[in-house]
Order: sequence, then C-alpha cells, then structure tokens
Amino acid sequence: MWRRSASFILDERRSSNSPPMADTTRGGPFQNPDAISAYYQTRAAHHGVITSDWLAQAQAAVGGVSGEEQTVSPAAESGADKTFNVIEEFNGWRKQPDLAEAVAAIRALAAVIRASEATTMMELEIELKKASDTLKSWDKTSISLTAGCDLFIRYVTRTSALEYEDFNSAKSRLLERAEKFGEISCKARKIIAMLSQDFIFDGCTILVHGLSRVVLEILKTAAQNNKLFRVLCTEGRPDGTGVLLANELSKLDIPVKLLLDSAVAYSMDEVDMVFVGADGVVESGGVINMMGTYQIALVAHSMNKPVYVAAESYKFARLYPLDQKDMAPALRPIEFGIKIAAKVEVERSARDYTPPQYLTLLFTDLGVLSPSVVSDELIQLYL
Amino acid sequence: MWRRSASFVLDKHQNNKPISLTPSIDSPPPHSMADENSNPNPISAYYQTRAAHHGIVTSDWLEQAQAAVRRYPERDYSVSPGRPFSVIEEFNNWRQQPDLAEAVAAIRALAAVIRASEATTMMELEIELKKASDTLKSWDTTSISLTAGCDLFMRYVTRTSALEFEDFNSAKSRVLSRAEKFGEISCKARKIIAVLSQDFIFDGCTILVHGFSRVVFEILKMAAQNKKLFRVLCTEGRPDKTGVLLANELAKLDVPVKLLIDSAVAYSMDEVDMVFVGADGVVESGGVINMMGTYQIALVAHSMNKPVYVAAESYKFARLYPLDQKDLEPALRPIDFDVPVPPKVEVERSARDYTPPQYLTLLFTDLGVLTPSVVSDELIQLYL
Repeated sequence: MWRRSASFILDERRSSNSPPMADTTRGGPFQNPDAISAYYQTRAAHHGVITSDWLAQAQAAVGGVSGEEQTVSPAAESGADKTFNVIEEFNGWRKQPDLAEAVAAIRALAAVIRASEATTMMELEIELKKASDTLKSWDKTSISLTAGCDLFIRYVTRTSALEYEDFNSAKSRLLERAEKFGEISCKARKIIAMLSQDFIFDGCTILVHGLSRVVLEILKTAAQNNKLFRVLCTEGRPDGTGVLLANELSKLDIPVKLLLDSAVAYSMDEVDMVFVGADGVVESGGVINMMGTYQIALVAHSMNKPVYVAAESYKFARLYPLDQKDMAPALRPIEFGIKIAAKVEVERSARDYTPPQYLTLLFTDLGVLSPSVVSDELIQLYL
Repeated sequence: MWRRSASFVLDKHQNNKPISLTPSIDSPPPHSMADENSNPNPISAYYQTRAAHHGIVTSDWLEQAQAAVRRYPERDYSVSPGRPFSVIEEFNNWRQQPDLAEAVAAIRALAAVIRASEATTMMELEIELKKASDTLKSWDTTSISLTAGCDLFMRYVTRTSALEFEDFNSAKSRVLSRAEKFGEISCKARKIIAVLSQDFIFDGCTILVHGFSRVVFEILKMAAQNKKLFRVLCTEGRPDKTGVLLANELAKLDVPVKLLIDSAVAYSMDEVDMVFVGADGVVESGGVINMMGTYQIALVAHSMNKPVYVAAESYKFARLYPLDQKDLEPALRPIDFDVPVPPKVEVERSARDYTPPQYLTLLFTDLGVLTPSVVSDELIQLYL
C-alpha cells in the first residue's frame, strides 16, 4: 500500500536506515535475529533443504541460549527456567516432520503443566499464559502456533471454571486433554482425507501447490482407493516443494508432472481442480498459504476451475488481512543460481493471502465448508 | 486439449515414442537438407541461443554445438557447394552478436546471399533466395521471428522484380539496396520503439518486467537516460534466470530493482503500474507468443486492471493463429531442478506460451503504437 506514491524513494531511504523489526518487548534470546520466519525454516528443514541462514541460526541458538538466558531475566526468576523449557520443548517437538506445529506447541504447554510447581489453578493458568506468550513471541509469523496456543489456553480456562476439590486431578485432566489434542490433530488429517474423496473422480487432473501434509494424505487415500487421477505439481520456488511432492507421489504410482511456477496458466486448461493446504484460515474465509497460492487461485478462478483448501480446524485464526501486506512479515532467504548486484532488492515474503472469492470449498475436520461459513465456525471455536 | 479425457493414460503410452519436429508452416524444407539442418533433439535452438547469449551454456547446447561443427564438412548440396554453406555460416556469424536479433541476422545473411549470387536472371535469384530462406527456416522451426523475418524479407525484396529493367545488374543492385534498407530498419526498430514508449513511463511508476527482452531493456535504458524516476520489478524467469540478469543490468543504470520469484507476481501486482514484456512473435489475432509465464502475468494484471504493454519489432508479425496454448510448435528446453527428479515424473518443458489479445493493452512496434486488434490490418499490409 505504501508503494503507490512516488515517495517510494523516500520510503526506501527510510527503510534502509532502520531495518524492519517486530516489537522487541520480549527480549533477546527469544527473538529471531533476522526476521526470518522460523516456521518456514522448519518446513524447509523437514524437507531436508538446509539453507545457510538456518544453519547459522541453529548454531547461534545452540550456542546462545544457555549463555543469554542468565543475563536477560524475564519477569519471574522461577519463570526463567520454565520459559527456557518451553522453547526447548517446543523445538524438540517441532523437528518431527509429521507433527503439525500447533500440536508441538500444545505438547510443549503440556510439558509446562507437567513440570509446574503451582498449587492453585490460578497460578497454573498464569504460568501457562506466560509460556504461551513466550512461544507466540518466539515466532510471530506462525499462525497455527498462535492459534494452537490460544485454543489450548481457552480450553484450560474453560475447565478451570469447573470445581475440583483436588488440584491434582484437575491437572491430570488438563494433561489428558493435551495428549488428546495431539490425537485429534492426527485424526483431523484422516477426516479431511475421507471428506475429500468424493471430489476426486476417475480421470481427473489435480494441480497442487506447495507440500501440505494434509493434501498429501488426501492424495494418498485416493490412490489407495484405486482412483485414477493425475497430479500436476508446481515447482514451488524456492523450497522445491514440487520435486519433493513428486517423489512422494511417484512412490504411490500416481502419474505426476512437474511445472514451473510460470507454467500454471499454460497448463490450467487441462486441470480439473486445484488443491492447496493452508498455513492459516482467516476470518474472511480466505487463506494464508505459501507464496504463489494467490496467483494460482486467481488463474484458476478466471478459468472457472475449483480451488479446494484442506485445513485442520486449529488453523482458524482471528485475523482479517485487508491486503497482501497486511500480515506479519514472514521472510525467508531465496537463492538464485547466480550472483545478484548489491543494490537489487529481493521480495522475500514466504506467503500470500488468498481472498475468499477465489476459493471454492474448504475441507476441514469440521466438515466441508464454503468460505463464508468460516466466520461462523470461528465464533463457535473461540466462544 | 487432448488431456481432457481420461484417455490420458493411453496418450501417455503413445507419447513415450520420440517426438518428431513438424515442418514449418511454409513449404517443407527440401529433403536433402532436412536431416542435416533439423536439430537432433527437439530442444529449441532459439532458446538455446538466448541462453548462450546470457552466458548460460547448458550441456545439451554444448553437445549440439559440437555436433554441428562436426557436421558441416559432410554437407552435400545439389547447388554449387559454396553457397548454402555460406548462408548458414553467415547467419551464424551474425547470430553470435548478443545485441543482434535473430531475425535481423537472418535478414543480413539473406542480403549476403544476394550479394554473392551468380544468378543471371531475376527468376534464378528469387529461387536462390527462396532456397536460402528455407534453409534458414528449417535450421530452427520453433523460432517464430526467424520464420516471420525471412518471409517478410522475401516479400519486401521480391516486390521489385515485377518492374521491368533491361539491365539485370541494376535490378539486382536495387534488390540489394532494398535488402540493406530492410536490415537497417530492423536494426533501428528498437530505438524507434524505445522513443515511442517514453510517453508511457511517468515519474514514480513501478514497472513489472518478465523475461529479458532486448527491446524492453532498450526502453528502460532510454527512460533512465531521460532521467525518469521509476522502479522495476523483475520476475525471476525460471529456468533461464532472465530476471537476475536483467536486474544486474538495470542496477548498473542505477534503476531501483526488485527481484520476485515467479510465484510472487500476484502478491506484488498491487504496487505495479504497468507490465512490460517483449515478444517472440506477434500472431494474427493480436496476441503474442513469449517466454513461459507471460500469459500468467497478463492474466493477473488484467484481473487487477493493470496495463500490459508488449514491445515487438514489426518483423515479428507472423502468419499464425493459435487456438489455445498447445496449438504452437513445441519448443522444449531442459529444466534444471536442483534435486534429482524421479524417472517416472514428467516435466513441462515448453519454453513459451501464447497470450490472447484480450489481456494485452498496447503493442509498441516500429510501425507505431498499436492496439491488438489493429495487428491483423498491419499484417495484411505487410504481407500483401
């Protein structure tokens, strides 16, 4: 929005003086140094694509955390140990490629409960809230992380209204719920896969963008049900998601074709439907997903092809972006094959926002929804 | 079009047979020359030349170049041995210059044919020219500007032969002067286009560019020299990396540049004021054939009401009318993903797509600034 006037020249000078940084209230060790979205770096790490920045950051994290934790003191002393554990726990869970990030967050919070020395519900809630804030501030760009934390906290506050004489049984109930959430999330993918089977017919051609584990589950289930279909994968620069997905699909004997990101409009004629995952589903019914989703949805919409989004319910977030730049910036490094001149900027955003008018249906574990229904569901979830 | 039915499973089996080049739209090349001149694997030589200009030498290109060098001495021509050899040789000499368009190189080579011709009648000269032109066209059947350039040249030059000259030599010299004039016009075309498009670039505008068109680069260079303040967004241009190269060139001119990956075009389209692309060929409908991705960008720009401007010289106007994307000659080129691709996975290797005229706003040509609908009128005049 700010680039529309000729003052971009001034803006450029201003922005080169002060590097854009999200608020730094939380302090040193828990802030990502380069505003490189940790969420996308995790995905990249899952895919085995290790960038040099990630490596540097990982080394810094290993070296830095134990040292910095003593110099910077967050609010409470005992809290310092807990917050250290939360992030570490979260990182531990996050590394597993099959685990969704929200589930990792909830497991980390469950670990906080387990390790907590609180004796009243109120104290436990406060500790959890602190831990949740720490997690959220550690990576502001991950929507499912924020949403997962919020949902869990809301569940905790809801149950604590019930009266338990025994504090310990309340605590164990919370732990149980946290475990169950992990199961629910795994089941969510299966539910979504089942719901979407009716939409895949024999002889259809599906266009896929990005490497969503939910979409992969959908295609796997369809292949197991012996459906005959063909998949076109976009290359997915710079993460190379297309080749990875093509590898997975060819193991399942599904005919795959790789396209350049530029070749989507060229091939859109032979496509019957588009399947994408989501990083987050916003209040308008739109989705935030890997960069390029908006473009593909636009092209598909102009050629009357349906765009289906597969998202678990914990990705529903209380966000309402008004345009592309209206989200927390999630940047990640992009490598071109050759050297770039020093003055050249690079658009490094990892994701874009697809407005609801370009989406046809959302497959969630709450059912198959149209984009307009999303806000109703959100009200129910967050009530 | 053929993929719409479930028979793609059968089609797949059929497609596993090797792809053969279909002959060009004009008369098929003489058989004695077809095998030597056609490229061994259907990798578009036009795009390989562009890649070579940009310094990206692929291994396939290298192999092909070596094969071509080895192949030349074995040629056997029905006409006197020196001449057709020199057409291709002349053409290749001209083609090495990165600043020269391929069609212009062909035009210059054909002019050289006239100069070196030993014909004594007009008819003989025309036949020689036609043979040379066919040779050039068959060298790369996927290049539209080459075919169009040769055709236009032939038509332009042979228009004079209807006039009566007692002296063949003066007729020949007249033909030669026309040929040279045509060559000059083609060379100057870029400057004319750059001058025409200056009015459309205003201070503070943001221009989106796709591909590395030398015409578009000329336009931007001239605008920078005229001290206009503007900003350029370059798409990355996989797999040729045209965006990075263009960004480097523009950075030398002190033009603020931003690189986008191909997926980020819709994301950034909000801040764009206009889109500039070149063209490999302009077709009869007024649409253009250009590097893969142009159609997508034009579609996105059109949906957000941003103007799409095409810069094309007039010799790129071709007698083609594609009905959909696949209705063109396949022009394939190798694509390098950084990781190995499993064997059963196909890859869409086409180097270009067709942008229908409804997504284009204006065409900047050396004949003037045209709307897409005017193109067919111009074509009639050119080819009459």
